[in-house]
Amino acid sequence: MTELIQNLIDGLGRGSIYALLALGVAVVFGVMHLLNFAHGELITVSGYAAYAAFSNGWSWYLVAPLIVVVSVATNLVIERVAFSRVRGSSEFTQLLTSFGIHFLVAAIFLMYIGARVQTFAEPGWIADTYSIGPVRVEVFDTVVIIVAIVTLVLTAAILQRTMFGLSIRAAAADFDAARLMGVNSDRVIRGAFALSGALAGIAGIFWLMRAGHTSPTSGINPMLSGVLAALIGGLGSLKGAVIGGLALGLAEVMLRTWLPGGAAALTQGVVFSLIALLFIFRPGGLVNVAHAERV
Amino acid sequence: MATRSFVAAWTGNRRREAGLLFPSLQRDVAFPLAGAVVLFAAFVGAGLLYTLMVEGASAEKLITAMFIDAIMVIGIQIYVGNTGVFSFGHIGFGAVAGYAFALFAIAPDDKYTRIPNAPWGLADVEMGPLPATAVALGVTLIVAVIVGIGLGRSGARSGSVAPTVITLALLFFTHEVAASWNELTGGERAGLTFGIGDTLQTRTPIYLALFAAIVLALLFARSSIGRLNQAAREDNLAARAMGINPVVQQTIALLLSVAVVAVAASLRVYEIGSLLPEFFFFQYTLLTLVMLVVGGRNGVTGALLGVGVITAVRESARRMGSDGYEIFGLGLDGNLDWVFREGLPTVLLGLAMVVFMIWRPNGVLDDWEVDAWLWRRFIRQKPPAAAVAAPEPDALDLSASEVTVEFGGFRALDGASIEVSNREIVGLIGPNGAGKTTLVNVMTGMVDPTSGEVHLGEMGLTSEPSHAIARAGLVRTFQNLRLFSSLTVRENVEVAALMASVHRNGGTRADIDAIVAGAGLWEQRNRRAGQLDYGNSRRLELARAAAAAPAFLLLDEPTSGMSDTESLAMVESVRRMAAAVGAGVLVIDHDLNFITGICDRVYCLDQGRMIAIGTPDEVQADAAVKAAYLGEAAQPGEDRT
Repeated sequence: MTELIQNLIDGLGRGSIYALLALGVAVVFGVMHLLNFAHGELITVSGYAAYAAFSNGWSWYLVAPLIVVVSVATNLVIERVAFSRVRGSSEFTQLLTSFGIHFLVAAIFLMYIGARVQTFAEPGWIADTYSIGPVRVEVFDTVVIIVAIVTLVLTAAILQRTMFGLSIRAAAADFDAARLMGVNSDRVIRGAFALSGALAGIAGIFWLMRAGHTSPTSGINPMLSGVLAALIGGLGSLKGAVIGGLALGLAEVMLRTWLPGGAAALTQGVVFSLIALLFIFRPGGLVNVAHAERV
Repeated sequence: MATRSFVAAWTGNRRREAGLLFPSLQRDVAFPLAGAVVLFAAFVGAGLLYTLMVEGASAEKLITAMFIDAIMVIGIQIYVGNTGVFSFGHIGFGAVAGYAFALFAIAPDDKYTRIPNAPWGLADVEMGPLPATAVALGVTLIVAVIVGIGLGRSGARSGSVAPTVITLALLFFTHEVAASWNELTGGERAGLTFGIGDTLQTRTPIYLALFAAIVLALLFARSSIGRLNQAAREDNLAARAMGINPVVQQTIALLLSVAVVAVAASLRVYEIGSLLPEFFFFQYTLLTLVMLVVGGRNGVTGALLGVGVITAVRESARRMGSDGYEIFGLGLDGNLDWVFREGLPTVLLGLAMVVFMIWRPNGVLDDWEVDAWLWRRFIRQKPPAAAVAAPEPDALDLSASEVTVEFGGFRALDGASIEVSNREIVGLIGPNGAGKTTLVNVMTGMVDPTSGEVHLGEMGLTSEPSHAIARAGLVRTFQNLRLFSSLTVRENVEVAALMASVHRNGGTRADIDAIVAGAGLWEQRNRRAGQLDYGNSRRLELARAAAAAPAFLLLDEPTSGMSDTESLAMVESVRRMAAAVGAGVLVIDHDLNFITGICDRVYCLDQGRMIAIGTPDEVQADAAVKAAYLGEAAQPGEDRT
């Protein structure tokens, strides 16, 4: 029982980060039907920015907002330079564009900074724990969960209460109709990328805190987690993305505990295969978003 | 009894399909073979020329690798190019084949040092490279069947995310198994290694496999299966409405594609002489995909061009990164040090991917293919003789009775019934939102009715899949044109005629040229359907539907967007087509002149209910119709609402 609760808390901590990443993927998918394989590169770029800042003696309190700013800026630049030019192209084209960017960013860092893993100091409290009864809880997990909840509430408020949020939700429901109703597609898409970047930035803070290093290929894992979680949630659905993130976090922790000895290394493959099965038997994802084709 | 007749019908259909695999021996077999020779000679020639100019073992190795990559990319092209389904994880099949090959082909002595405890006694297996390739092929095809069933169930089509996810799952799963199952694969670091001297020593098998791959890919693209796949790639829904079952066709394409990939993977492992999990993972996926899309994924010529260009670019970048650079013999004094350095090849690959997706997503050549070009260039086509009218068919009735459709709380159809015989042309009119298209959708299996039935003669068609309904003889057109836009005009008609010869008229081949000419499209026959103007597009859609040898044609607003003169010309076309194929016609339209000019009887639908039936004059005079459809103020005979 204690172990189960322990796992639940671990899973929620992990899942909160995934939820933020997945929400970013889903917001972008909603406005332009792009499954963004370059999403993890926001963490690569902000990871190097963080490394540079630490080298100049910055503390985590300054670096954390820097990560968010860099992540937003990077996403806007990527949108401007690449994605805005393939808007309206086939899904195939958009997906490959993001796949190309994923490799391009990694290779640029490899070329100019090198393959070496750059480490930086984690904050002192990261390994601290406290006890509630028999359950030991990490301070880190607690902070992550609280920040994630605050972020999600803020995001929900933006999406529900502002004109911008309304346009994003309208665009996610039916982009063409939204445009006909006068939604400015440039502004909405750019806004979606900014929001997606901010969410990735907040997730990135914790991702980098826990990892304590960055390297050219450090974008791949956050990208996979974000994409997988968004897929579980049915891609276009924002609520689904959050649920998908939490489900992925819990599933990872549970699989790691339950899979027999050697098979534990297969966690990601198993999760991926489960999602493939989900797509085979419920093509719309867990949270079904039906897209009927008009004839 | 029923089983036996089903089996007989099934085998009969397969035999007919086999007979129709290559509709024209000259165009679909001879020219592809000639094209394959040309492509093979050009590609291999270019590679060998390079090894003559740049001598040394590393150049030889580079060209060998390029030939193997070419086989791999052609393997991927067979699936991705023809079906349009984006398989991200094709390299995962390569991983399966690569490990199967290595485990069987490596000599036991070498396996004892790396993987002495391999399961199932694999360490003791001794086998030559050729049988090992056969084993790899078999194992990989089994995996492909399983993945193929999954892809089929998920409703894979071009543009859908499911196939990307499913194949990506394969890629990750095989990679993680390979990286963690040390007893079998030697793990992430050590991997598997062939003994010294046990690796591929000659290029002969590579040449054979490359030539075979080119021949297979070109023949497949021209075969009826390839063409049906291409039609479904262009428009899945329209393909099903023509009687094509895309799932079956895609699965055949997948198996063929995976077979080629498996051979390529075996050769790759055999040539490198070792195998690590990362050999068949993201980096190789990127490389092969870039090669595929730069030249043009829809053609074999494009695929080979991409392989050549990307190999050249990568190699130049690598050399300049490691050995310093010299362009045309000029040293550039180190000003360009910031460009030519380690990592440049990957930057260029990523950049090539992004730039091509923005600039030319269909690659340099798009679907330009050498054999089609040769054929157009060297074969003069004669305009055909006029089509012979079909003999009067046996009387047959199409009926929909008491059809109700609810979308959520909204009743689109409310107990609507309609009956059409195959000797008449029947109109279906009604204001916007009356449920006309929904009724046609129900009859063609695209919408399931909440209640009600559809019958063709004695046969129940209610909620059957679209392609089965088309095969039974109900063929429709669409309100918003759905042509196979990157196929030529003739190919659009041909695809429909192919389905008809298998499922409709017992192997008899329709005269495609006569149908094309009859629709007034002879001059445009080799143009892409997507380039036609609006009127011609409409005519092509009608001709395509007629080529499917329907018992009933269901036309959804064939004159929408046409001028009055064009609509009148359409009356003639529809009459002629219906007579030529001996089909009954149900036509939806707003244009009353058109409906009055063409129909024997007219039904009027309003808010999901039939409110009037009769001759065109009777229906126009009907008070309920006037109220619902024309509005009180409008005069009968006014052409549009």
